[in-house]
Amino acid sequence: MRLFGADILPLAAEHIVLALVPVLLGLVVSLPLGWWAWRSRGARRVLLPLTGVLYTIPSLALFVVMPLILGTRILDPVNVVVALTVYAVALLVRSVVDGLDEVPSEVMTAGVAMGYRPLGLLFGVQLPLAVPVLVAGVRVAAVSSFSLVAVGAIIGQGALGTLFTQGFERFYTAQIVFGLVSILVLALLIDALLMMLGRLLAPWAAARAPQKAGDAAQRSSTREQGEAAQRSSTRESAV
Amino acid sequence: MIEFSDVRKAYPDGTVALQSLSLTARAGEITVLVGPSGCGKTTTLRMVNRMVDPSSGTVRLDGVDVSTQDPPTLRRGIGYVIQNAGLFPHRTVLDNVATVPVLLGRRRAEARQAAGELLERVGLDPKVGGRYPSQLSGGQQQRVGVARALAGDAPVLLMDEPFSAVDPVVRADLQDELLRLQSELGRTILFVTHDIDEAIRLGDMVAVLRVGGTLAQFAPPADLLAAPADDFVAGFVGRDRGYRRLQFVGTGSLTLQDFPTTGDGWLLVVDDDGRPTGWRQGDEHVALGTVHAEGGSLRSALDAALSSPAGRGVAVDDDGRVLGGIEPEAVITLLHASSSPAPEAVR
Amino acid sequence: MFSSLIAWFGAPAQWSSASGIPVRLLQHLGYTALAVLVGAVIAVPVGLYIGHTDRGRFLVVGLANGLRALPELGVLVLFVLLLGLGLTPVTLALMLLAIPPLLAGTYAGISGVDPAAVDAARGVGMTERQVLFQVELPNALPLMVAGLRTATLQVVATATIAAFVSLGGLGRYIVDGQAQRDFTQMAGGAILVALLAIVLEVALQGLQRAVTPGARRARSGSRPPTPAVGTSDVVTAGG
Repeated sequence: MRLFGADILPLAAEHIVLALVPVLLGLVVSLPLGWWAWRSRGARRVLLPLTGVLYTIPSLALFVVMPLILGTRILDPVNVVVALTVYAVALLVRSVVDGLDEVPSEVMTAGVAMGYRPLGLLFGVQLPLAVPVLVAGVRVAAVSSFSLVAVGAIIGQGALGTLFTQGFERFYTAQIVFGLVSILVLALLIDALLMMLGRLLAPWAAARAPQKAGDAAQRSSTREQGEAAQRSSTRESAV
Repeated sequence: MIEFSDVRKAYPDGTVALQSLSLTARAGEITVLVGPSGCGKTTTLRMVNRMVDPSSGTVRLDGVDVSTQDPPTLRRGIGYVIQNAGLFPHRTVLDNVATVPVLLGRRRAEARQAAGELLERVGLDPKVGGRYPSQLSGGQQQRVGVARALAGDAPVLLMDEPFSAVDPVVRADLQDELLRLQSELGRTILFVTHDIDEAIRLGDMVAVLRVGGTLAQFAPPADLLAAPADDFVAGFVGRDRGYRRLQFVGTGSLTLQDFPTTGDGWLLVVDDDGRPTGWRQGDEHVALGTVHAEGGSLRSALDAALSSPAGRGVAVDDDGRVLGGIEPEAVITLLHASSSPAPEAVR
Repeated sequence: MFSSLIAWFGAPAQWSSASGIPVRLLQHLGYTALAVLVGAVIAVPVGLYIGHTDRGRFLVVGLANGLRALPELGVLVLFVLLLGLGLTPVTLALMLLAIPPLLAGTYAGISGVDPAAVDAARGVGMTERQVLFQVELPNALPLMVAGLRTATLQVVATATIAAFVSLGGLGRYIVDGQAQRDFTQMAGGAILVALLAIVLEVALQGLQRAVTPGARRARSGSRPPTPAVGTSDVVTAGG
């Protein structure tokens, strides 16, 4: 499909790959790192501030510095993938730690007392219970990733983001609006899919919600939402 | 049988959780560890399944030193119930109960089947099996916790303040249920609580621990009430121990009075079967007080006498038919006759 | 590569000319401050209102979620095409990024105040106004500053792409370097942006700690300050 003088479908496919591969890689790296940070106070003290600093670095800067670190060419898509993986890790290590922290201590005690070995406890109890927090983190990482890929267009690697740079050069508003809408729709689609995946992986979390009708519970859930909103908006534009 | 020999627990920072404890919890009995917080009762309990290892001394389970056993394997053979049940929120009630059998390698379908039967056994509708723990009340969750601990067919049960977080009415229910279950199952139960009333209610033997982890007294509950070893135990057992001790005293030779059938005073009203329904004084109808059932304790007899508006309590037989009246003086007389050294026990 | 970077940073013109580092730095900070200020003027009153009355909560959550998926490069070029080159479109685009975290922080701060304290304030006869300004606002400050911190970092990062639409700031080095195939200049700019972001992050973290009552106490105590595991930390996630 050609639109605005560009092949849209390959651009969209490239955008999806550039946005999601880093999230997957980030999750794979974050699980062991997060588990380590959860277990060891020392590791937590180093890893969490470090991920905070990494997250602070603007993405355009990171894209540009990547060749310096990796020895890649400036126009290599690997730069974008690695840079976005860094953000995904920075975000998800925190999610893994939060998710594992979420497991109530009496549940851990009960698991140990019933004869779980450490790995069995991790995969049978801790990780399943961390799923809601983890999925929330992955959703934020994925959606931000879609927006960040577009920034790569400034250095010639932006998939659908090239609609913005080209539209700007040609003063073509329709092209820019189309780019905005298509990235937005893709991101929200992935977000919805991830949300459904979360429901599938943790049906018990949904069962819990209607029970909490008390005033205090209500208030705390509002607060959680506020904080989640806050957290989620944290990184959206690490340009 | 669980034996603690000269067990001591000190932490690297110098705090001593347990001074030196020697204690034997007999097989098939409920042994209660009770004491104020900081007395090391939970530490003691957790040494049995090696959640805590002693600094010195040995813990033996049926003669085998637990320190020689692999902790996860050991734990799968010991039931464990804790304060907030500690159910797995991500598993249904049925799968929660089936946890240990599955860990032991039993087939899941089989384990679930057995779990459903256990739910009934602890007084739950098997229909709750498909729900998640968060959809149950606190009391129900605690019952599931007990079912889960029983599921591995473990001969030994460790219970760490299992009923402390539920309201008093539910707690009394759960206590009754535990006693009923125990009469059927005869497990070896080590039970930790800070509530002396619970200890007295449930324990075949009660160990009172002092802060710092020393044993103040280890005795059956009636002895604890009748003859506290020292001021600490007396203080801990509480102010009205004399009265509470009556629940361990039988009423074998209690003298019953007849009720007047006519007159202006209090008249007992009975139905056609001879069961009491209330009192009458003149034209006024007054509710019954508590009723003493034949074979009950002296405490229930005294309570019947004191709570009756007529000043004379009602004793009934197993079918609820009136046997006679109880005067408070008769109870006191019997108490004098049967007082120390060892009153007959009714548990 | 590193030697040419050192040479780039060391050139005297770099520190005195009109396109030198101090000027670019000040421009960058100027765009950031302006956008955050305008954003705060809008977001803080709205957040106070929503937090105090709990009306319009969906707005906070919806805005945060929706805007996260919006690619800011597209928003920026769109505003420029619609409003023409200049400071106004850039400020508006950056302001759009500052609003969600400021709003979420203010809202979460106010609605998270211990309901018993608010109840007590009404109980002693405070007016709604007094409740808001004397009880809720002081208690909400840490989360509000957390929102400010998130907003600032996002804006400072995104201000980099202002150079793409012909404005100044540190992004100039990246965009010009890209055009001139001068990788040294690009890397130099990237490093400056990253450093600026990290310095701002540390400074705002300090401010946040200063307005958190618990943290202040911990600092003045004899024990070494333990990592705060509170609300401030939650919002920090990925800041």
